[in-house]
Amino acid sequence: MSASTATAPARGLRAPARGTLLGYLLLLPAVAVIVLLVIVPMAVIARQSFALSDPLLGGTMGGFTWDNYAKLFDPVYAKTMGYSLGLAALNAAVCLVVGYLLAFYISTRPANRQPVLLMLVIIPFLTDFLVRTFAWITLLGSGGPYVRIARALGFDASSLVPSQFAVIMSLLYAFLPVAVFPIYASMRAIDPSLREAASDLGAGWWQTHRRIFIPLSATGIGSSIMLTFVPTLGVFVIPVLLGGGKDPLVGNLIVTLFTEFRNEPMGAAMSMVVLVLMLASVAVITGLLRLLSIRSNRRAA
Amino acid sequence: MKTKALLAAGLAATSVLALGACGSSSSGSTASSGSKSSDSGGNQTLAIYAWAGEIPDSVIDGFEKETGIKVTVDTFDSNETMIAKLATGKSGYDIVEPSQYAVQLMVQRNLLDTIDKSKLEGFDNLNTKFVNPSFDADNAHSLPWAWGTTGILYNEKCTGGEITSWSDLWDSKYKGKIYMLNNMLSAYIAGLQVQGLSATTTSQADIEKATTKLLEQKPLLAGYNSDNYADLVGSGDACIAEAYSGTTAAKAVQANQDVHFIMPSEGGTLWTDSFSIVNGTKNQTAAYQWLNYTLKPEVAALLTDDGSLATANSAALDQIKNEDLAKSPAVYPSDAQLAKAEFIVDPGEALTYYQDGWTKVSAS
Repeated sequence: MSASTATAPARGLRAPARGTLLGYLLLLPAVAVIVLLVIVPMAVIARQSFALSDPLLGGTMGGFTWDNYAKLFDPVYAKTMGYSLGLAALNAAVCLVVGYLLAFYISTRPANRQPVLLMLVIIPFLTDFLVRTFAWITLLGSGGPYVRIARALGFDASSLVPSQFAVIMSLLYAFLPVAVFPIYASMRAIDPSLREAASDLGAGWWQTHRRIFIPLSATGIGSSIMLTFVPTLGVFVIPVLLGGGKDPLVGNLIVTLFTEFRNEPMGAAMSMVVLVLMLASVAVITGLLRLLSIRSNRRAA
Repeated sequence: MKTKALLAAGLAATSVLALGACGSSSSGSTASSGSKSSDSGGNQTLAIYAWAGEIPDSVIDGFEKETGIKVTVDTFDSNETMIAKLATGKSGYDIVEPSQYAVQLMVQRNLLDTIDKSKLEGFDNLNTKFVNPSFDADNAHSLPWAWGTTGILYNEKCTGGEITSWSDLWDSKYKGKIYMLNNMLSAYIAGLQVQGLSATTTSQADIEKATTKLLEQKPLLAGYNSDNYADLVGSGDACIAEAYSGTTAAKAVQANQDVHFIMPSEGGTLWTDSFSIVNGTKNQTAAYQWLNYTLKPEVAALLTDDGSLATANSAALDQIKNEDLAKSPAVYPSDAQLAKAEFIVDPGEALTYYQDGWTKVSAS
């Protein structure tokens, strides 16, 4: 930055300098918010994760120990972690498939109808998250439409709550919009004539997607995976209400550690582990995307 | 144009700084507003932190009308959350409503003020069963307000008969139709009592036995649920569930004649939630006004009429208007049913045995 200003012609010298100052000033509120509401709390949690816990009253006693992390190697915690990662990956995959198809459908409608369809995706999300989760209990529970329709058709159906299926359905519903939007955004940028060209050259549905739409919307697909996978790791209401609460997720575990177990340091350690896992998955996905774009650039060259 | 943008940025920055200042000195601001109001006379405030659903609006409205004090109520759904918030020392609350074992913890942490009995009117109205409890000798820090039990909620249509014991929660006949409360200490009540052990045990061997019993039960369970188990029992999705008495259980029992709430023959447990004064409150006078107001029989009766909960005020029992609730075993179990009920107290250092066990149960 400073190098470029130094080599700039004298006439432009003052303007960029003032521009950067103004830029930093404009950034200040956002930076302050991030520091106060993100960095500071995270630093507190990081510090607490190495503190000794007060076994009687909860809370922390200061000091420094690795114990909180060491204890997380207990197979019991590893199992919960594995289950959470698996469920998050499954949800990301389901959201990706459904979100991709939906985004493709919307992006290929006439331009004046696209905003309406997008609104339809968003509108349910003006209701509270918990209310929507309870709605799934009604939909899939006994006496709900699923059971009634299935019985009317002659199937011996019973309530789907609690079940893993209900958990997945509700997770898909909760995260679908965040999966649709990034993909839709990158699909909109794809020239529609490419699709015509593909079909003129005899490419079928699958080939058109594999060789044109998927590579060209890769950035959107990447962000969509990230935006569904990472937050699913933090979910804790859905597995209790729709899954019966027999298989806790990392989110449930952290809540239990902080509250019932009165072990803030260990809860903090668990949070740090989840944070690192989230950052790692973000790094892996962005890395893959970069690799992909380098490869496609090379091919283009 | 640029100056305008600069100005806007400056404004935004100052507002952020101001916000930050507010957040870091919330107790300071409460204190200053308190002194200001005493200068101008009247215009007092009282900040209450209570269990969700345990103070009916009618009680708040009545208090505000009678005293002219402005009340704000925040609610919590676990003692641990409440203690964590008060432990910061800057919560800004005047009155808090801890459960029995939480009173113990908070007294140890010096979070509660001693209650001066000479300032109270109507202390004798309280039910002697809840006065001078094991967790707070001589009610030095807490006045009982609501009480309830942990027992069993079941749907007769589904169980096909009467349920009397915790052991029915281990009956494979009801596999996939059984719910346990999603709370460590509550789950252990059943796990311990079903084997004839005390729900307040601190013995490692006893707790391990209960862990084994809970592990044995898990494959039979539909799940652990503290949120909507009453609906599930009502709809027949669940046959039988470990349950708290009170609002939701009473509603489920009233709505469906097949649904019953009972205390198990092994005993079940009792809990009480009490009002305490937060240590360091600036609104002492208003706090005592609240305690005295809620000791009145006609006010305590509203807890049953409008909150479907049992009041710890004996004198209030005659004043309850809703006969159904006053007679409902889901609100007021009979003395016979309560005979063997245990009072849950803090497990102290034995908490680690419960935690080790519960971690195993959760992950199995």
